[in-house]
Amino acid sequence: MKQIVFSGVNKYYGAFHALKDIDLAIDKGSFVALVGPSGCGKSTLLRSLAGLEKITGGDISIAGEVVTALPPRRRDVAMVFQSYALYPHMTVEENLTYSLKVHGVSKAERKRAAGEVAATTGLSGLLHRYPRELSGGQRQRVAMSRAIIRNPKAFLFDEPLSNLDAALRVHMRKEIRALHDRLGATSVYVTHDQIEAMTMADHVVVMRAGVIEQQGRPLDLYDKPANKFVAGFIGSPAMNFIPATVEEGGRVTVDLGAGPVELAVAVAAPVGARVLIGIRPEHLTLTAPGDGRLVAAVAFTESTGFTTFVSTATTPELMVVETGRRAVASGDRVGLAFDDASVHVFDAETEQRL
Amino acid sequence: MSETFRNRLLLLVALALAAVYLFPLYWMYITALKTGSEMFRTPPSFWPDEPQWAIFPFVFQLKGMAQFLWNSVVIASGSVALIACLGTGAAYVLARYRNVWVDVGLFLVLMLQVLPASLMITPIFVLFTLTGLLDFPRTAVVLAIAAKSMPFFIVLVRATFMSVPMELEEAALVDGNSRAGAFWSIVLPLARNGILVSAILIFMQAFGEFVYSKSLIQEIELQPSSVGLNAFMGPNTNEWNRIMAFASIYVTPILATFVLLQRRIVSGLTSGALK
Repeated sequence: MKQIVFSGVNKYYGAFHALKDIDLAIDKGSFVALVGPSGCGKSTLLRSLAGLEKITGGDISIAGEVVTALPPRRRDVAMVFQSYALYPHMTVEENLTYSLKVHGVSKAERKRAAGEVAATTGLSGLLHRYPRELSGGQRQRVAMSRAIIRNPKAFLFDEPLSNLDAALRVHMRKEIRALHDRLGATSVYVTHDQIEAMTMADHVVVMRAGVIEQQGRPLDLYDKPANKFVAGFIGSPAMNFIPATVEEGGRVTVDLGAGPVELAVAVAAPVGARVLIGIRPEHLTLTAPGDGRLVAAVAFTESTGFTTFVSTATTPELMVVETGRRAVASGDRVGLAFDDASVHVFDAETEQRL
Repeated sequence: MSETFRNRLLLLVALALAAVYLFPLYWMYITALKTGSEMFRTPPSFWPDEPQWAIFPFVFQLKGMAQFLWNSVVIASGSVALIACLGTGAAYVLARYRNVWVDVGLFLVLMLQVLPASLMITPIFVLFTLTGLLDFPRTAVVLAIAAKSMPFFIVLVRATFMSVPMELEEAALVDGNSRAGAFWSIVLPLARNGILVSAILIFMQAFGEFVYSKSLIQEIELQPSSVGLNAFMGPNTNEWNRIMAFASIYVTPILATFVLLQRRIVSGLTSGALK
């Protein structure tokens, strides 16, 4: 069953077209990530769902009810803001129970609900503190708990982890996902971090300039990106792109300066068409200069201990990710091996997958 | 020049400036306490030989100051109530919406503040006479002061509202409140300090207001202290000690309020009174 449906949603800010014909259906109980670079419209889409932005055209429905014209309070969604937006003049308990109070829940019932939620999110000892007396992580928990306590039709997250430090972010990622599973909730999660999207979501929606570029399961996006943008955006470090030209019989050869290398991919494009060959850094392996299919000189290497990033001195520059420590240094000549099955081909003009 | 020496020098300069600035106040208090002959002595004495404390109850009785002070309080409270009710709403709108009309509105509000009371009084007098408002002189003064001081209040309170993050309001909306509900339960409590401080400043301004009261109120029993004090002085006045006693009784409550609240007032003026 579809819990949230956007159909033909458009949004203009004056002459600026922020959302362009967005069609998106979200299953009940699923965790959907909206991901894209800044200004791609992901936050606008989320805010439109919450009712904080008025859409210019199209319809939004939540749990079968069209909510396009309804104010935020009639949509029954809970939202976690990037800045947490905790009410500074209220204690944690008052923050948690604000929505219940607005809905006329009795004081005793509110207290019980706050205690219950606080127990599950580890806030029990903090109920009488003010937000200013909490650490960043604790504030984040309060913001989450404030959403949970309502048992809403959908949870909306607007980059909730971007103010936390890296370690806490990884921890909260798991916690949010666990919470989602436990509550059986429907969640829409906005982030600019593709790792968050990939690790947390059941369904990832990649947006750019107000358009949905591709949506699907995280690994499908990784394995079969629909265009060059998605290919470059999903996966870290980003995919390598090598310009090439289609030859007789749909054959493609690439040349990094050490002679043409034929790829075993059949491309349904006319002879002479210009294409882009995409290979992920993790699908390239370093070999001895003679053993690989491509030959390149090493420009520089960076090691994190577990992985080593190797950049080549070719045009275009290629990035190779190797696990473990490689004894290569700048100036060394290396061979690059790869499997043709891991090669992506995009049209150089339209940037669409071929 | 060492750090401490420079600090001491600056402190000395500050004290000298404060002394110059506060001298009239000091002179007012000691003149009130002097006897008639000591007042005119040359060279003047800087501390009264025999402080005449009895002058305060005497002048209070003689001039019927209870009524004057009451009128001042009525006029100041009425102005503050009117300004706070209308000005808070106006300031909120001017803080939350950004478009050409809001900019035009803000410009007009600031323009109003530039016009001096002595310029405005003639058209106001004519208007109030025509509409019959002069039959309710204190109400007329309240209206005139509200019109005069509203811009100041709006500018201050608008800054306070702008320091309340929009996201808090949005959180309240998503939490199930209406726009008005979010204003009352979230924005207003957070802006409370700024509004209070601005209201106190307006109260003090209105408490000492002179031009409108003098022009619009003819009946002595409806006049505020500022006008009462003025009526004390004539071309041949020599009762300086009584005038100063009147003035002391009039300004001491305002001074006391300011001294007590100055920390909050200063922080309110500078930081928008949040946090």
